[in-house]
Amino acid sequence: MIKLVNVTKRYRTAAGVNTILDDVTVTFPVGASVGILGMNGAGKSTLIRIIGDAEPADSGYIKREGRVSWPLGYTGGFQGNLTARENARFVARIYGESTEYIEAFTQEFSELGDYFDVPLRSYSAGMRSRFAFSVSLACNFDYYLVDEALETGDARYKEKFRLAFEERRATASVILVSHNEQTIRRNCDMAAILHDGQLTLYEDLKDALQFYNFLQTQAA
Amino acid sequence: MQRSPATDAPKITFNDIKGAFSTQTRVISALMLRETKTRYGLHKIGFLWAIVQPLMMVAIIVGIFSAIRSDNPGGMPLVQFMLTGLVPFTMFRETMNQMQGAINQNKQLFAFPQVTTFDVIFARGLLEVLLLAFVFMVLLTIIHLAGWTINIERPLDVLAACSLLATIGLGFGFAFASLSPLWPSMRQLSSALLGRPLFLSSGIFFTADSVPSSVRQYLLYNPLLHLLELIRSAVFHEFETQHGSWTYAGTWAICSLAVGLLMHQALRKRAIIGL
Repeated sequence: MIKLVNVTKRYRTAAGVNTILDDVTVTFPVGASVGILGMNGAGKSTLIRIIGDAEPADSGYIKREGRVSWPLGYTGGFQGNLTARENARFVARIYGESTEYIEAFTQEFSELGDYFDVPLRSYSAGMRSRFAFSVSLACNFDYYLVDEALETGDARYKEKFRLAFEERRATASVILVSHNEQTIRRNCDMAAILHDGQLTLYEDLKDALQFYNFLQTQAA
Repeated sequence: MQRSPATDAPKITFNDIKGAFSTQTRVISALMLRETKTRYGLHKIGFLWAIVQPLMMVAIIVGIFSAIRSDNPGGMPLVQFMLTGLVPFTMFRETMNQMQGAINQNKQLFAFPQVTTFDVIFARGLLEVLLLAFVFMVLLTIIHLAGWTINIERPLDVLAACSLLATIGLGFGFAFASLSPLWPSMRQLSSALLGRPLFLSSGIFFTADSVPSSVRQYLLYNPLLHLLELIRSAVFHEFETQHGSWTYAGTWAICSLAVGLLMHQALRKRAIIGL
């Protein structure tokens, strides 16, 4: 279970204070795939970083039970000068996993071939996210935090990921942020909307999408 | 800003602390391996470079100085004198320099929740100190074997003084590493204000006794001068420092480490976000 209690997060920008989370309290249930929808600039990436403890909130606290992944996206926490193998070993070390296992799993699942021993900086965006997802699958997290990037790679590879995630669903949950309702529709069983510093969780995916559409027409 | 009542927040148990400690050890050692890899592992001769670089610097500086100076400073042989000044000084300066960019150059790592700003800064500092300690030993050995005999009088004093130099470097390193994300010109400033003036005034090229007392009283505010004096005093039996003070240098080391860590604590949240 991941629970946000009275979490507030503000950014000071040249244009003034931007409130991303305003005293938000929400519980992400176990075993569900929750999509978080928000317009561009609503603070979706910041929210997923706060959930993943990659960035501190201004106040409030977050209760995490189980192992939570880092926010998975195009780049993640990887060093461009190091090869995929070296980056995978680094991840294994900081999570206290067997380096051999993580290395082998990632190499096999990412299907990077010879590129596995090439520095990450020469990867395409698709290859990078293939690597990032493979490492995270190797780590066996209880919660996968995903920032947009599920939709990469060719159709066959997308399907492979989807199946792998589907399999993990039995034991793992997904929190996915996106501004694209198609992504959410395909991957999630419920959705929350981040708007104006409020995060509202909808039990029914349809209600969430309906409200999101309404917001989009308002903005236009 | 509203804080949630303390009673709501989850309590920290002994197991949490134990777990946190083992995570931190794991993360710091992983970071050090990774840092070694990115710095030296990219080329086949990488590790060799770590030794060759300071060796070249010592060779050049010693070469220049033995050409223009014929005397033995404070009765000490010139080559050994320069080596025992230059390398310990880099334990302060390089440690500080390497730590300075730690947050800026490792931003992407904070995506991993267990990697903290402290880990990133400390891993760099520790790696640098260990590397320079190794370099110092190798250089001493090379110089000794090459005929410039070195018999260290009090090895433990040398170790203590080098540790204090490294500690001052760590203190400054923590302070600058936390400041530089908020203040991008920090690096230039610290090298202009600290690097060069200290390089010239810390006694790498002279003994405190050799400068007029009117100047010396000001130079002795610099704790690095105290430490270099103490190191040479501990290495050479010909030389006994009149000015180096363990108390003064030790106080500086403790205070700079404390200030550095406090600044890091105060600035670390803003340092990640970069505001």
